[in-house]
Amino acid sequence: MGKSTTVGSRRLKIAFWGFVAPSVILFTIFFLVPLVLSIAFSFTDFDGWKTMNFIGLKNYINLFKDNNFWGALGRTFVYTLFSLPFKVIIPLLIAALLCSDRVVGKGFARTLVYIPVLLSSLVVGITINWMFSAEYGLVNYLITSLGGTRLEWALNPYLATFVISFASNWASTGFYMIIFIGGIKSISNDLYEAASIDGCTSTQTFLKITIPMLAPTTFLAVLLATVNLLKEYALVQGITQGGPGIKTVFIIQYIFDRGFNSMQYGYASAISFIVMIIFALIAYAQFKFSNGGGDN
Amino acid sequence: MARKLTKNTKSVPMSILAIAVALAVIFPIVWLVCSSFKQTNELFRYPLHMFSANPTVEHYASVMEGGFMGYVYNSFFLAIVGTLITLVISSMCGYALAVYRHEIKYTNLVFGIFLLGTLIPGETLTVPQVWVIGEFGLYNNIWGVILPVVTTTTGIFLFRQQYMQLPLSFVEAARIDGCPEAKTFIYVMAPLASSTFVTLAIFSFMWRWNDYILPLLVLSDQKNYTIQIAIKNFIGNTGVDWSSILSASVISMIPVTIIFVILQRYIIGGVSAGGVKG
Repeated sequence: MGKSTTVGSRRLKIAFWGFVAPSVILFTIFFLVPLVLSIAFSFTDFDGWKTMNFIGLKNYINLFKDNNFWGALGRTFVYTLFSLPFKVIIPLLIAALLCSDRVVGKGFARTLVYIPVLLSSLVVGITINWMFSAEYGLVNYLITSLGGTRLEWALNPYLATFVISFASNWASTGFYMIIFIGGIKSISNDLYEAASIDGCTSTQTFLKITIPMLAPTTFLAVLLATVNLLKEYALVQGITQGGPGIKTVFIIQYIFDRGFNSMQYGYASAISFIVMIIFALIAYAQFKFSNGGGDN
Repeated sequence: MARKLTKNTKSVPMSILAIAVALAVIFPIVWLVCSSFKQTNELFRYPLHMFSANPTVEHYASVMEGGFMGYVYNSFFLAIVGTLITLVISSMCGYALAVYRHEIKYTNLVFGIFLLGTLIPGETLTVPQVWVIGEFGLYNNIWGVILPVVTTTTGIFLFRQQYMQLPLSFVEAARIDGCPEAKTFIYVMAPLASSTFVTLAIFSFMWRWNDYILPLLVLSDQKNYTIQIAIKNFIGNTGVDWSSILSASVISMIPVTIIFVILQRYIIGGVSAGGVKG
């Protein structure tokens, strides 16, 4: 290598590291260090303050025997499985409707459907909870007006979970709708023209062309929805705060309860590590898939 | 857009269905907003009506008297300062990862490390993160909820994508002219990515405005609360202070809704291009 290229490449090296330094430093301090600490804490009885003894795998052994951990994890999975179809199918149907050439006012309708996405999870929870409040909520009012008996939305674990799921789906419909609209727009118009020449009905076209051609988009939506449902937390704080009892405590809230309320940083870190592995596997599948899609 | 305007292809039932769906989705927000203008005794009395017989702003007035504007100020500070830092550092980083990809060996490695940020959700790292924030003396400090979140993989990713699409010849030409690398970025390359700046600015503002977990855990002093934490505090152990939380929630919706209405196309573009979380 000649001298001038060494000087030139040294100049570029300095420039490169200068450009990335702020991001790298902040990312290291607030992401990579906590990541390492999380694993390290999980082998200790750290209380977030003074005590910190190495206790080996004890946290993981306790975790295995902790019914509340399995309860929270199980509830999270059941909640995710039940919410997932609605979280994906409803936006898909709305997207198909709001892409149709036969609909007037599509842009306006899309705007309205997207607005709940703008709200914070907490405010989403509050907005839906206000409609479902047991005493003077709109839903119970309508039920009693129609001659039914009012439902105890907050006291029955199944109803409480339903309200959380409803709120979550409501707030994300616009987001997934936009993703599906992007997918529908990328389907070649030739297919639809061919279908109309062959005399297909709208339903046939939707089932035989739109749905199969949307498979990659649907897969992406399912993965995103799964991750978002598994980490549901702030929304629950606006509705049940985990109640009745601990019947709507999902896994992220369980980590926070153990870490910050019971000051069991070590134990909370062990739970985090297990949950992290679950999320990383899902996200890895997503990453693999979206790169395989040939974007780059 | 080349829209076919042949009238006979339009369908009245489908259009009605579309608008009905849209109104159903927006209804809970309309109900919340209408409720926030009702007198307290109207809120808790059957029969319920959509619109108040005697609309009032008393709930807004009482929330304001409780020091709410201070929390609004803190939220604006968090959102604006956090967004500015995010724009500066993500554009620099994404630019470097794209433009130096032939000269520097480690660009893919550095980018790969940032991608960890999308593989592992922040929620699972919150416990040690809060400890780190404490060790830096940032506990109960607004910077303690800004600095940990300003590096976003999404932002770096967006800028990297943008600069991958631009020809490197601009940079090479500037180098031949003897222009320093930093100047090339600021005066030549940054303006070319203006739409990415706008897209990320909007998303970052909304993320920071709606940030909940970290502010809840880090900001303990009431004067440092952001709007979300102030709203959360209307939910007590014994029940929800509905008359205050309704108006507080409505206030919290105003800035993001205004931004959305004005800059919609960037938001829709960001979501459909990369699945940016809204």
